[in-house]
Amino acid sequence: MTRKANPVPTRILRKSASGILVVLISLSILFPLAWMAIAGFKGRTEVLRSPFQFFPDMWRWSNYTSIAKDHEFLRAMIVTFVGALIFTALSLAVNSMAAYAFARLEFRGKRFWWVYCILPMFIPMMAILITSFVVVSKLGMLNTLAVLIIPGVASAIQMFFLRQYYLNFPVAVEEAALIDGASRWQIFARVFLPQSAAPFVVVGLGSYLAYWNAYVWPILVVTDPKLTQIMQFLGNFRSDRGNDWGMLMAGSTLAAIPTIILLLIFQRFIVNGVRISGMK
Amino acid sequence: MALLESSAIDAPPAAGRQRGSGKGGTGRRAVGARRQDNITAYLMIAPMVILLGIFVMWPLAYSGYLSFFKINYYTGSKFVGLQFYHDVLTSDEFWHSLWIGFYYALLVVPIGIILALLLASFIKTLSKRVAAFMKVTVYLPAVVSTVIASVLFTFMYQDDGVVNWFLSLINLAPVAWLNDPQWALPAIAVPGIWLGFGITTLIVLAAMLDIPDSYYESAMLDGANFRQRLFRITIPLLRNVLLYLIVTGFALAVQMIDLPLIMTGGGPVDATTTPNYYIFSQFRSPDPYSRSYALTASLLLFVVLGLVSIAMFRLIRSDKAVDG
Repeated sequence: MTRKANPVPTRILRKSASGILVVLISLSILFPLAWMAIAGFKGRTEVLRSPFQFFPDMWRWSNYTSIAKDHEFLRAMIVTFVGALIFTALSLAVNSMAAYAFARLEFRGKRFWWVYCILPMFIPMMAILITSFVVVSKLGMLNTLAVLIIPGVASAIQMFFLRQYYLNFPVAVEEAALIDGASRWQIFARVFLPQSAAPFVVVGLGSYLAYWNAYVWPILVVTDPKLTQIMQFLGNFRSDRGNDWGMLMAGSTLAAIPTIILLLIFQRFIVNGVRISGMK
Repeated sequence: MALLESSAIDAPPAAGRQRGSGKGGTGRRAVGARRQDNITAYLMIAPMVILLGIFVMWPLAYSGYLSFFKINYYTGSKFVGLQFYHDVLTSDEFWHSLWIGFYYALLVVPIGIILALLLASFIKTLSKRVAAFMKVTVYLPAVVSTVIASVLFTFMYQDDGVVNWFLSLINLAPVAWLNDPQWALPAIAVPGIWLGFGITTLIVLAAMLDIPDSYYESAMLDGANFRQRLFRITIPLLRNVLLYLIVTGFALAVQMIDLPLIMTGGGPVDATTTPNYYIFSQFRSPDPYSRSYALTASLLLFVVLGLVSIAMFRLIRSDKAVDG
């Protein structure tokens, strides 16, 4: 890759090459999404029409406007968004605390609890779907916001990620803090948490999306229309109302907007290391 | 692990740093350093342990219990012991679905990680503004739910869909992507990769950005090329994160159900019947006791996944901090 020509043309060549690469990569990623957004302008069955057609015959705004005006849609968006934010905050708190303990502390039975906390990752949803339903209904949680949020808060995958990240943290800083008499809680809160912006954004986006895109669990535990989740709402376009593809695409495009805004806000935290230690 | 010793270091006199809280009192650490960590650690993992206990372990134990019974709502349940386990383990379809699940994981996980490594290395070289654009762009597919992605790609794979249109541009014969047993699984692996690699890229990028630039600078001074820097610096230092990506990628890939459910219905000739799809179709089947059978199959899938991942943890040890 590295050319041994004189530096100036190499730099220009590299810059234009990376520019072309940026365009190509983004096009290949964005193509299906653009297609979704544009399919939102199509009629009920026009989406399915063959041969393949990228643009609609006629740009009809009716799909977008009718969904945007639909109170049920707006309510589902708001309810899901609020739920997703609470869910994300809770799971960051619960999982990062456990992750810190598993990465940095020695305690009796650590191996056992580690396996206990990591195992859920390998449990197929079908294995516990029905019995989870029995459990939450016995706890009287059906048709509450809590049943959508609480059962998923403790996440083996998120905890595992944060633990792997904390393993990489410089030991020296922690030792210095211990010698200064800081407690483990203080070290966690004052040393680890402030350094966790990047992994928290990554994990937080994951939690947020897991909640936002949940479909099966909400259908099972929520029948109250006030709590209808966004994917439940969009799912209606596939069954009850007989596969209205144009509406489904338009609804999905609109439903993606809050997430994209969050992404635009939080991507800046994934940047060059801000480690105070200056060493690994 | 230097942590153990460091926690045993005598705490400085508490006088200088008075804190009101009783549980974190430094004065006490000198007496029982190990104990202190025990209590702190238990308090820290308690929320997770309790939540998992109620919402995962209890349902799991309950499912395990139910799998020993033939459940009949009219005549009452009958204890049958390990009969369902025997039925599942002797079923060719179950083993076939496992093979499909592993094959799918083998397609999705390595390609996803390699793409993420390359893309993250590339994003790292970009200017701040372009990098911000790319970080958002690569993540966008993850914003779309699997359901929508399945629908999108099903359309793109149609006989006269956009994929075959591209093939015709370079003079290749069209392929019946989702109807050809040979191509169906790779075809659904593409949206699988597309959906996941944005998150993977951000994870790799976040970890890469933690590697001090000085490492690369001194390596470049020594004349190391891109490949050497990747294999000698980046990958060894990303070991903890790569272990995470491999284990979770594998666990999630083998459990994939949405893509075959919507795109292929497990076909053609079971070429895309992943384990969870198989379990799901058993669950819906009208055969007597098919629900108990499906439940047992899902418990066995759990055992298989657990065993394989234990092997993976053993292979790639990452218990220690990289800098020890």
